[in-house]
Amino acid sequence: MKEKHIIEVLDNGSISSLSEIELNEVRDHARECESCRGAYEAARVSMLVIRSRAASTIEPSPFFQTRVMAALREQQAVESVPAILRLWRSSRALVSSMAVTTAALAVLSFFITAPATPAAPEQTASVFSADSVIMGQAGEEMSYEQVLSTIYEEDEAR
Amino acid sequence: MDLDLARQAQDGDESAFAEIVRRYSPRVFSVASRFFRQRSLVEEAAQEVFLKAYTQLGSFEGRGSFEGWLTRIATNTCLNMIRGAKRRPESTVSDLTNDEQNWLEQQSGDGSERLSVENNLVAADLADRLLSVLPPEDQQALLMIDGEDASIKEVAEATGWSESKVKVRAFRARRKLREAMENLLGHNSKKADSLAGEQVNR
Repeated sequence: MKEKHIIEVLDNGSISSLSEIELNEVRDHARECESCRGAYEAARVSMLVIRSRAASTIEPSPFFQTRVMAALREQQAVESVPAILRLWRSSRALVSSMAVTTAALAVLSFFITAPATPAAPEQTASVFSADSVIMGQAGEEMSYEQVLSTIYEEDEAR
Repeated sequence: MDLDLARQAQDGDESAFAEIVRRYSPRVFSVASRFFRQRSLVEEAAQEVFLKAYTQLGSFEGRGSFEGWLTRIATNTCLNMIRGAKRRPESTVSDLTNDEQNWLEQQSGDGSERLSVENNLVAADLADRLLSVLPPEDQQALLMIDGEDASIKEVAEATGWSESKVKVRAFRARRKLREAMENLLGHNSKKADSLAGEQVNR
């Protein structure tokens, strides 16, 4: 192996899987070949970090079993409800608020009338005759415009 | 025995399933720990594994071991979780912490392969940093083979991949990791040389 570069050997398997003889050959070659020395060092340190990472496992907590069983019961409870009911439950708030809004809009459109506008002069003028206006019988109930329109309307009608 | 438990659990016997959870939690946590290091994520993955296993109990026919069947579910669940999560950006040398740089310096030329508990943690952090640039499947193959001395066949059984796929993944991961480590070691030694030079000049 002294003449042969060892990079392929290093990439084919972990250093820990090499036999003692193979490992000695790899080391011998690495001592003499600069490019392979770097590769060997990197492979050796890589193996160390990978082993450390593999060793850092997390143990289950004492409550894990209880937690899983609770999650399972919750899942079963959800699954036992029919799909249409689950859909209704999840969208109940939205549907209800939409229904209330629609009803409120309907009520508003039916029962609320347009704001009161000032009476048109001709409508008020028709209550009094031109004579009564001229004679001052209409009193001060009429505006100046109403008085004028009442007198002119009767003139036009004649 | 496991098949009986599985059947009882499938028939709605809660205590049977609780026994399955108790018996196999360490195994499932061990698999999930390969993918995640935060306890909360490991627990979340493990819970997901058992809930999936419960719904799939009918598919366990007792041909292989229950542990193997569960390991495969655990592996696939964790892989899906990893794929769903955002991948971390590639690490660079400048991302290394002081502890990690010191650890690397200690390893250069040091043939010792025994690490203290504290150094183990630093090394595991460094491994995470280096592994994060690999696809999760490649990480898995490398951690099992090089980290846990699993055989190609064992990895194939645990993951459901073919043996040739496992070999390719492990080879690719090992080479990438070695190259990344070579860069780190080279960069680190240059940095150490320049620091030493600065100190001499002062």
